[in-house]
Amino acid sequence: MNCLDFRRHLMADPMARDTGLQAHEDDCPGCATFARELRAQEINLRNLLREVSPPEGMSERIQLAARFEQRSATQRRWWYSAAAGVLLAIGVSMTSLWTTALERGDQALAQSVLNHIEDEASHLREARPVTATRVKWVFERFGATLDEDIGPVHFAAECLMRQRNGVHLVMPGKMGPVTVFYMPGEMADATLPVRSDRFEGRIVPTAWGSVAVVGETGEPVQELGERLAAAVSWPEPATSADSGLIGAGALATLDIAQQEDS
Amino acid sequence: MTKLRTDFDTLVNALSPELFRYAMGLCHNPDTAQDLVQETFLRGWRAQAKLRDGKAARAWLYTILRNEHARLYERQRPDVCDPSHLPEIAVRGYDTSAEAFVTRRALAELSAEYRDPLLLQVIGGFSCKEIGEMLDLNTNTVLTRLFRARKTLRERLEGTPRQEASQ
Repeated sequence: MNCLDFRRHLMADPMARDTGLQAHEDDCPGCATFARELRAQEINLRNLLREVSPPEGMSERIQLAARFEQRSATQRRWWYSAAAGVLLAIGVSMTSLWTTALERGDQALAQSVLNHIEDEASHLREARPVTATRVKWVFERFGATLDEDIGPVHFAAECLMRQRNGVHLVMPGKMGPVTVFYMPGEMADATLPVRSDRFEGRIVPTAWGSVAVVGETGEPVQELGERLAAAVSWPEPATSADSGLIGAGALATLDIAQQEDS
Repeated sequence: MTKLRTDFDTLVNALSPELFRYAMGLCHNPDTAQDLVQETFLRGWRAQAKLRDGKAARAWLYTILRNEHARLYERQRPDVCDPSHLPEIAVRGYDTSAEAFVTRRALAELSAEYRDPLLLQVIGGFSCKEIGEMLDLNTNTVLTRLFRARKTLRERLEGTPRQEASQ
Protein backbone atom coordinates (compact mmCIF):
# COMPACT_ATOMS: atom_id res chain seq x y z
CA MET A 1 0.00 0.00 0.00
CA ASN A 2 1.39 3.40 -0.92
CA CYS A 3 0.83 6.72 0.86
CA LEU A 4 -1.93 7.80 -1.55
CA ASP A 5 -3.91 4.59 -1.04
CA PHE A 6 -3.39 4.80 2.71
CA ARG A 7 -4.65 8.40 2.94
CA ARG A 8 -7.54 7.74 0.58
CA HIS A 9 -8.68 4.79 2.70
CA LEU A 10 -8.26 6.68 5.91
CA MET A 11 -10.20 9.71 4.66
CA ALA A 12 -13.11 7.42 3.84
CA ASP A 13 -12.97 5.69 7.22
CA PRO A 14 -10.54 7.19 9.73
CA MET A 15 -11.27 4.57 12.38
CA ALA A 16 -10.70 1.61 10.11
CA ARG A 17 -8.37 -1.02 11.54
CA ASP A 18 -6.89 -2.96 8.71
CA THR A 19 -3.61 -4.90 8.75
CA GLY A 20 -2.52 -3.29 5.49
CA LEU A 21 -3.27 0.17 6.82
CA GLN A 22 -1.60 -0.58 10.12
CA ALA A 23 1.54 -1.89 8.38
CA HIS A 24 1.85 1.24 6.27
CA GLU A 25 1.24 3.47 9.28
CA ASP A 26 4.00 1.68 11.20
CA ASP A 27 6.43 2.09 8.30
CA CYS A 28 5.60 5.66 7.22
CA PRO A 29 6.01 8.44 9.83
CA GLY A 30 4.33 11.04 7.57
CA CYS A 31 1.23 8.96 7.13
CA ALA A 32 1.26 8.10 10.84
CA THR A 33 1.12 11.81 11.66
CA PHE A 34 -1.59 12.33 9.09
CA ALA A 35 -3.59 9.45 10.64
CA ARG A 36 -3.26 10.85 14.14
CA GLU A 37 -4.47 14.29 13.07
CA LEU A 38 -7.31 12.85 11.05
CA ARG A 39 -8.47 10.62 13.91
CA ALA A 40 -8.32 13.51 16.33
CA GLN A 41 -10.55 15.52 13.99
CA GLU A 42 -12.86 12.54 13.63
CA ILE A 43 -13.17 12.20 17.39
CA ASN A 44 -14.01 15.88 17.66
CA LEU A 45 -16.61 15.49 14.93
CA ARG A 46 -18.12 12.46 16.65
CA ASN A 47 -18.24 14.21 19.96
CA LEU A 48 -19.84 17.22 18.40
CA LEU A 49 -22.54 15.17 16.71
CA ARG A 50 -23.00 12.41 19.25
CA GLU A 51 -23.15 14.37 22.45
CA VAL A 52 -26.39 16.08 21.58
CA SER A 53 -29.17 14.70 23.77
CA PRO A 54 -32.83 14.55 22.85
CA PRO A 55 -35.29 16.72 24.79
CA GLU A 56 -36.59 15.33 28.07
CA GLY A 57 -39.49 12.96 27.66
CA MET A 58 -39.16 12.58 23.88
CA SER A 59 -39.22 8.77 24.04
CA GLU A 60 -42.29 8.80 26.27
CA ARG A 61 -44.08 11.19 23.90
CA ILE A 62 -43.33 8.92 20.95
CA GLN A 63 -44.56 5.86 22.84
CA LEU A 64 -47.71 7.74 23.85
CA ALA A 65 -48.29 8.89 20.27
CA ALA A 66 -47.95 5.29 19.05
CA ARG A 67 -50.49 4.07 21.64
CA PHE A 68 -52.87 6.88 20.73
CA GLU A 69 -52.51 6.03 17.06
CA GLN A 70 -53.08 2.36 17.78
CA ARG A 71 -56.19 3.16 19.83
CA SER A 72 -57.46 5.53 17.12
CA ALA A 73 -56.82 2.92 14.45
CA THR A 74 -58.55 0.26 16.55
CA GLN A 75 -61.51 2.55 17.18
CA ARG A 76 -61.58 3.53 13.51
CA ARG A 77 -61.51 -0.12 12.52
CA TRP A 78 -64.25 -0.88 15.04
CA TRP A 79 -66.43 1.94 13.78
CA TYR A 80 -65.80 1.04 10.15
CA SER A 81 -66.63 -2.59 10.92
CA ALA A 82 -69.74 -1.62 12.84
CA ALA A 83 -70.87 0.78 10.12
CA ALA A 84 -70.18 -1.79 7.42
CA GLY A 85 -72.08 -4.40 9.43
CA VAL A 86 -75.08 -2.13 9.89
CA LEU A 87 -75.09 -1.14 6.21
CA LEU A 88 -74.77 -4.78 5.19
CA ALA A 89 -77.61 -5.78 7.51
CA ILE A 90 -79.80 -2.96 6.19
CA GLY A 91 -78.92 -3.88 2.61
CA VAL A 92 -79.63 -7.56 3.13
CA SER A 93 -82.89 -6.79 4.96
CA MET A 94 -84.07 -4.33 2.33
CA THR A 95 -83.17 -6.68 -0.50
CA SER A 96 -84.81 -9.56 1.30
CA LEU A 97 -87.93 -7.54 2.08
CA TRP A 98 -88.10 -6.18 -1.44
CA THR A 99 -87.57 -9.59 -3.02
CA THR A 100 -90.00 -11.20 -0.62
CA ALA A 101 -92.56 -8.48 -1.25
CA LEU A 102 -92.15 -8.88 -4.99
CA GLU A 103 -92.37 -12.65 -4.82
CA ARG A 104 -95.24 -12.49 -2.41
CA GLY A 105 -97.00 -9.95 -4.64
CA ASP A 106 -96.49 -12.07 -7.75
CA GLN A 107 -97.48 -15.28 -6.03
CA ALA A 108 -100.47 -13.59 -4.44
CA LEU A 109 -101.70 -12.27 -7.78
CA ALA A 110 -101.32 -15.66 -9.45
CA GLN A 111 -103.05 -17.34 -6.52
CA SER A 112 -105.88 -14.78 -6.61
CA VAL A 113 -106.39 -15.52 -10.28
CA LEU A 114 -106.60 -19.27 -9.59
CA ASN A 115 -108.88 -18.76 -6.60
CA HIS A 116 -111.14 -16.55 -8.66
CA ILE A 117 -111.39 -19.16 -11.42
CA GLU A 118 -112.16 -21.96 -8.97
CA ASP A 119 -114.61 -19.86 -6.97
CA GLU A 120 -116.51 -19.06 -10.11
CA ALA A 121 -115.97 -22.36 -11.92
CA SER A 122 -119.56 -22.24 -13.03
CA HIS A 123 -118.60 -19.65 -15.66
CA LEU A 124 -116.30 -22.20 -17.24
CA ARG A 125 -119.35 -24.19 -18.15
CA GLU A 126 -120.95 -21.37 -20.15
CA ALA A 127 -121.51 -22.95 -23.53
CA ARG A 128 -123.10 -20.11 -25.48
CA PRO A 129 -121.19 -17.07 -26.71
CA VAL A 130 -122.23 -13.63 -25.46
CA THR A 131 -122.83 -10.85 -27.95
CA ALA A 132 -120.11 -8.61 -29.21
CA THR A 133 -122.09 -5.70 -27.84
CA ARG A 134 -121.93 -7.21 -24.40
CA VAL A 135 -118.17 -7.65 -24.59
CA LYS A 136 -117.74 -4.14 -25.92
CA TRP A 137 -119.98 -2.74 -23.20
CA VAL A 138 -117.96 -4.40 -20.41
CA PHE A 139 -114.74 -2.88 -21.72
CA GLU A 140 -116.36 0.52 -22.18
CA ARG A 141 -117.14 0.61 -18.46
CA PHE A 142 -113.38 1.12 -17.99
CA GLY A 143 -113.05 3.54 -20.91
CA ALA A 144 -111.28 0.75 -22.80
CA THR A 145 -111.95 -0.25 -26.37
CA LEU A 146 -111.52 -3.48 -28.28
CA ASP A 147 -109.43 -2.72 -31.34
CA GLU A 148 -109.87 -6.08 -32.98
CA ASP A 149 -112.00 -9.18 -32.83
CA ILE A 150 -110.84 -11.44 -30.02
CA GLY A 151 -113.03 -14.36 -31.05
CA PRO A 152 -115.95 -15.99 -29.32
CA VAL A 153 -116.53 -15.09 -25.68
CA HIS A 154 -118.78 -17.24 -23.48
CA PHE A 155 -118.74 -15.04 -20.45
CA ALA A 156 -118.01 -11.31 -20.05
CA ALA A 157 -118.45 -9.33 -16.87
CA GLU A 158 -116.86 -6.69 -14.68
CA CYS A 159 -115.29 -8.43 -11.73
CA LEU A 160 -113.37 -7.74 -8.58
CA MET A 161 -109.82 -8.97 -8.34
CA ARG A 162 -107.73 -8.04 -5.28
CA GLN A 163 -109.72 -4.92 -4.52
CA ARG A 164 -109.61 -3.67 -8.10
CA ASN A 165 -112.26 -4.01 -10.71
CA GLY A 166 -111.41 -5.56 -14.03
CA VAL A 167 -112.84 -7.54 -16.91
CA HIS A 168 -113.52 -11.26 -16.61
CA LEU A 169 -113.92 -13.24 -19.84
CA VAL A 170 -114.28 -16.93 -20.56
CA MET A 171 -113.41 -18.06 -24.06
CA PRO A 172 -113.29 -21.49 -25.70
CA GLY A 173 -109.79 -22.87 -26.06
CA LYS A 174 -108.11 -25.92 -27.53
CA MET A 175 -108.01 -27.84 -24.28
CA GLY A 176 -111.21 -26.42 -22.79
CA PRO A 177 -112.49 -23.07 -21.51
CA VAL A 178 -109.92 -20.29 -21.13
CA THR A 179 -110.38 -17.62 -18.48
CA VAL A 180 -109.10 -14.11 -19.21
CA PHE A 181 -108.75 -11.34 -16.65
CA TYR A 182 -108.00 -7.79 -17.72
CA MET A 183 -106.60 -6.32 -14.51
CA PRO A 184 -106.00 -2.56 -14.71
CA GLY A 185 -103.57 -1.30 -12.06
CA GLU A 186 -102.08 -4.75 -11.38
CA MET A 187 -98.60 -3.98 -12.60
CA ALA A 188 -96.13 -6.80 -13.23
CA ASP A 189 -92.47 -6.48 -14.24
CA ALA A 190 -92.47 -9.63 -16.34
CA THR A 191 -94.69 -12.43 -17.51
CA LEU A 192 -95.73 -14.48 -14.49
CA PRO A 193 -96.69 -18.13 -14.52
CA VAL A 194 -100.00 -19.32 -13.11
CA ARG A 195 -100.14 -23.00 -12.31
CA SER A 196 -102.26 -25.45 -10.36
CA ASP A 197 -103.11 -29.13 -10.65
CA ARG A 198 -105.73 -28.36 -13.23
CA PHE A 199 -104.92 -24.97 -14.69
CA GLU A 200 -101.96 -23.40 -16.39
CA GLY A 201 -101.57 -19.84 -17.55
CA ARG A 202 -99.67 -16.61 -17.77
CA ILE A 203 -100.04 -13.10 -16.43
CA VAL A 204 -98.82 -10.78 -19.19
CA PRO A 205 -97.71 -7.27 -18.19
CA THR A 206 -99.08 -4.24 -20.07
CA ALA A 207 -98.62 -0.51 -19.78
CA TRP A 208 -101.85 -0.13 -17.82
CA GLY A 209 -101.85 -3.33 -15.72
CA SER A 210 -101.81 -6.95 -16.71
CA VAL A 211 -103.79 -9.64 -18.50
CA ALA A 212 -104.17 -13.12 -17.01
CA VAL A 213 -104.90 -15.96 -19.43
CA VAL A 214 -105.50 -19.34 -17.79
CA GLY A 215 -106.66 -22.55 -19.41
CA GLU A 216 -106.59 -26.25 -18.82
CA THR A 217 -103.12 -27.78 -18.63
CA GLY A 218 -101.56 -27.86 -22.08
CA GLU A 219 -103.44 -24.81 -23.39
CA PRO A 220 -101.11 -22.57 -25.48
CA VAL A 221 -101.81 -19.47 -23.39
CA GLN A 222 -98.68 -17.42 -23.99
CA GLU A 223 -99.51 -16.41 -27.54
CA LEU A 224 -103.18 -15.94 -26.70
CA GLY A 225 -102.30 -13.69 -23.76
CA GLU A 226 -100.12 -11.44 -25.90
CA ARG A 227 -102.77 -11.27 -28.60
CA LEU A 228 -105.55 -10.42 -26.12
CA ALA A 229 -103.40 -7.80 -24.41
CA ALA A 230 -102.66 -6.14 -27.75
CA ALA A 231 -106.29 -6.21 -28.81
CA VAL A 232 -107.43 -3.76 -26.14
CA SER A 233 -106.71 -0.04 -25.75
CA TRP A 234 -106.85 0.97 -22.14
CA PRO A 235 -106.97 4.70 -21.53
CA GLU A 236 -104.34 5.03 -18.83
CA PRO A 237 -103.09 3.12 -15.83
CA ALA A 238 -105.95 2.78 -13.41
CA THR A 239 -105.59 4.18 -9.92
CA SER A 240 -107.18 2.89 -6.79
CA ALA A 241 -109.68 5.75 -7.02
CA ASP A 242 -111.04 4.92 -10.43
CA SER A 243 -110.68 1.17 -10.13
CA GLY A 244 -113.28 1.12 -7.44
CA LEU A 245 -111.92 -0.48 -4.29
CA ILE A 246 -114.61 -2.61 -2.83
CA GLY A 247 -113.48 -4.87 -0.04
CA ALA A 248 -110.32 -6.44 1.21
CA GLY A 249 -109.77 -9.97 -0.03
CA ALA A 250 -113.11 -10.11 -1.67
CA LEU A 251 -113.33 -12.20 -4.76
CA ALA A 252 -116.55 -11.82 -6.56
CA THR A 253 -117.81 -11.31 -9.99
CA LEU A 254 -120.23 -8.51 -10.44
CA ASP A 255 -122.37 -9.99 -13.08
CA ILE A 256 -123.64 -6.84 -14.63
CA ALA A 257 -126.39 -7.23 -17.16
CA GLN A 258 -125.30 -10.76 -17.86
CA GLN A 259 -128.86 -11.82 -17.53
CA GLU A 260 -130.06 -9.12 -19.97
CA ASP A 261 -127.61 -10.25 -22.61
CA SER A 262 -128.26 -13.90 -22.13
CA MET B 1 -49.83 -7.06 21.12
CA THR B 2 -48.34 -6.47 24.60
CA LYS B 3 -45.00 -7.99 23.56
CA LEU B 4 -45.00 -5.97 20.39
CA ARG B 5 -45.64 -2.82 22.41
CA THR B 6 -42.86 -3.67 24.83
CA ASP B 7 -40.47 -4.32 21.94
CA PHE B 8 -41.48 -1.02 20.38
CA ASP B 9 -40.90 0.86 23.65
CA THR B 10 -37.49 -0.77 24.00
CA LEU B 11 -36.64 0.23 20.45
CA VAL B 12 -37.74 3.83 21.05
CA ASN B 13 -35.71 4.06 24.23
CA ALA B 14 -32.64 2.59 22.55
CA LEU B 15 -32.73 4.40 19.23
CA SER B 16 -34.48 7.72 19.71
CA PRO B 17 -31.35 9.50 21.06
CA GLU B 18 -29.18 8.59 18.06
CA LEU B 19 -32.02 9.26 15.62
CA PHE B 20 -32.48 12.66 17.21
CA ARG B 21 -28.76 13.35 16.69
CA TYR B 22 -29.00 12.27 13.09
CA ALA B 23 -32.05 14.50 12.61
CA MET B 24 -30.20 17.40 14.22
CA GLY B 25 -27.31 16.79 11.84
CA LEU B 26 -29.75 17.05 8.94
CA CYS B 27 -31.87 20.02 9.96
CA HIS B 28 -30.09 21.75 12.92
CA ASN B 29 -33.50 22.52 14.41
CA PRO B 30 -34.41 20.69 17.64
CA ASP B 31 -38.17 21.09 17.13
CA THR B 32 -38.06 19.78 13.58
CA ALA B 33 -35.64 17.03 14.65
CA GLN B 34 -38.04 15.90 17.35
CA ASP B 35 -40.95 15.85 14.88
CA LEU B 36 -38.86 13.85 12.43
CA VAL B 37 -37.97 11.27 15.05
CA GLN B 38 -41.57 10.94 16.19
CA GLU B 39 -42.86 10.58 12.63
CA THR B 40 -40.15 8.02 11.92
CA PHE B 41 -41.16 5.85 14.86
CA LEU B 42 -44.86 6.20 14.06
CA ARG B 43 -44.18 5.02 10.53
CA GLY B 44 -42.24 2.16 12.01
CA TRP B 45 -45.11 1.37 14.36
CA ARG B 46 -47.53 1.21 11.42
CA ALA B 47 -45.27 -1.31 9.68
CA GLN B 48 -44.60 -3.37 12.78
CA ALA B 49 -43.36 -6.43 10.93
CA LYS B 50 -40.24 -4.57 9.85
CA LEU B 51 -39.40 -3.65 13.42
CA ARG B 52 -39.05 -7.24 14.57
CA ASP B 53 -35.53 -7.64 13.23
CA GLY B 54 -33.64 -5.26 15.52
CA LYS B 55 -30.54 -4.77 13.34
CA ALA B 56 -32.50 -4.28 10.14
CA ALA B 57 -34.98 -2.07 12.01
CA ARG B 58 -32.22 0.34 12.99
CA ALA B 59 -31.03 0.88 9.41
CA TRP B 60 -34.62 1.03 8.26
CA LEU B 61 -35.50 3.75 10.78
CA TYR B 62 -32.50 5.83 9.68
CA THR B 63 -33.70 5.50 6.10
CA ILE B 64 -37.23 6.54 7.05
CA LEU B 65 -35.91 9.57 8.87
CA ARG B 66 -33.77 10.62 5.94
CA ASN B 67 -36.73 10.22 3.59
CA GLU B 68 -39.01 12.12 5.96
CA HIS B 69 -36.51 14.94 6.06
CA ALA B 70 -36.34 15.03 2.26
CA ARG B 71 -40.15 14.97 2.09
CA LEU B 72 -40.33 17.83 4.56
CA TYR B 73 -38.18 19.91 2.25
CA GLU B 74 -40.31 18.92 -0.73
CA ARG B 75 -43.53 20.03 0.99
CA GLN B 76 -42.17 23.15 2.60
CA ARG B 77 -38.86 24.46 3.63
CA PRO B 78 -38.97 24.14 7.39
CA ASP B 79 -37.47 26.65 9.75
CA VAL B 80 -33.81 25.97 9.38
CA CYS B 81 -31.61 26.99 12.23
CA ASP B 82 -28.39 28.59 11.20
CA PRO B 83 -25.85 26.09 12.57
CA SER B 84 -23.60 29.01 13.45
CA HIS B 85 -26.22 30.26 15.95
CA LEU B 86 -27.59 28.74 19.12
CA PRO B 87 -30.88 26.88 18.72
CA GLU B 88 -33.90 28.73 20.08
CA ILE B 89 -34.52 26.00 22.64
CA ALA B 90 -31.81 24.50 24.78
CA VAL B 91 -30.37 21.20 23.62
CA ARG B 92 -28.42 19.18 26.15
CA GLY B 93 -24.91 18.37 25.04
CA TYR B 94 -24.95 21.03 22.35
CA ASP B 95 -21.36 22.23 22.13
CA THR B 96 -21.32 26.01 22.19
CA SER B 97 -17.60 26.49 21.53
CA ALA B 98 -16.53 28.61 18.54
CA GLU B 99 -14.85 25.57 17.04
CA ALA B 100 -18.13 23.60 17.25
CA PHE B 101 -20.11 26.33 15.47
CA VAL B 102 -17.52 26.46 12.68
CA THR B 103 -17.63 22.68 12.29
CA ARG B 104 -21.44 22.59 12.25
CA ARG B 105 -21.52 25.33 9.64
CA ALA B 106 -18.99 23.44 7.51
CA LEU B 107 -21.10 20.31 7.80
CA ALA B 108 -24.28 22.19 6.90
CA GLU B 109 -22.62 23.55 3.81
CA LEU B 110 -21.80 20.10 2.50
CA SER B 111 -24.12 18.99 -0.25
CA ALA B 112 -26.55 16.22 0.71
CA GLU B 113 -24.72 13.60 -1.35
CA TYR B 114 -21.61 14.04 0.83
CA ARG B 115 -23.30 14.93 4.10
CA ASP B 116 -25.69 11.93 4.14
CA PRO B 117 -23.08 9.15 4.09
CA LEU B 118 -20.86 11.09 6.50
CA LEU B 119 -23.65 11.48 9.09
CA LEU B 120 -24.64 7.84 8.74
CA GLN B 121 -21.05 6.81 9.34
CA VAL B 122 -20.21 9.22 12.18
CA ILE B 123 -23.53 9.16 14.06
CA GLY B 124 -24.94 5.78 13.07
CA GLY B 125 -21.64 3.93 12.91
CA PHE B 126 -22.76 2.13 9.77
CA SER B 127 -20.20 0.42 7.55
CA CYS B 128 -19.66 1.55 3.94
CA LYS B 129 -21.57 -1.51 2.75
CA GLU B 130 -24.54 -0.72 4.99
CA ILE B 131 -24.52 2.91 3.92
CA GLY B 132 -24.48 1.78 0.31
CA GLU B 133 -27.57 -0.34 0.93
CA MET B 134 -29.35 2.49 2.70
CA LEU B 135 -28.56 5.07 0.03
CA ASP B 136 -28.80 2.66 -2.89
CA LEU B 137 -25.16 3.20 -3.84
CA ASN B 138 -22.34 0.79 -4.43
CA THR B 139 -19.64 0.58 -1.79
CA ASN B 140 -16.95 2.26 -3.91
CA THR B 141 -19.22 5.26 -4.48
CA VAL B 142 -19.80 5.47 -0.74
CA LEU B 143 -16.03 5.38 -0.12
CA THR B 144 -15.50 8.11 -2.69
CA ARG B 145 -18.22 10.31 -1.21
CA LEU B 146 -16.90 9.85 2.31
CA PHE B 147 -13.41 10.74 1.15
CA ARG B 148 -14.66 13.88 -0.59
CA ALA B 149 -16.87 14.85 2.34
CA ARG B 150 -13.94 14.77 4.76
CA LYS B 151 -11.62 16.44 2.30
CA THR B 152 -14.07 19.32 1.84
CA LEU B 153 -14.68 19.53 5.57
CA ARG B 154 -10.94 19.68 6.33
CA GLU B 155 -10.40 22.37 3.76
CA ARG B 156 -13.19 24.49 5.19
CA LEU B 157 -12.08 23.99 8.77
CA GLU B 158 -8.48 24.80 7.85
CA GLY B 159 -9.68 28.00 6.19
CA THR B 160 -8.66 27.04 2.71
CA PRO B 161 -11.76 27.85 0.67
CA ARG B 162 -11.71 25.75 -2.45
CA GLN B 163 -14.35 24.44 -4.81
CA GLU B 164 -16.18 21.50 -3.19
CA ALA B 165 -15.06 18.31 -4.78
CA SER B 166 -17.35 17.09 -7.47
CA GLN B 167 -18.29 13.52 -8.24
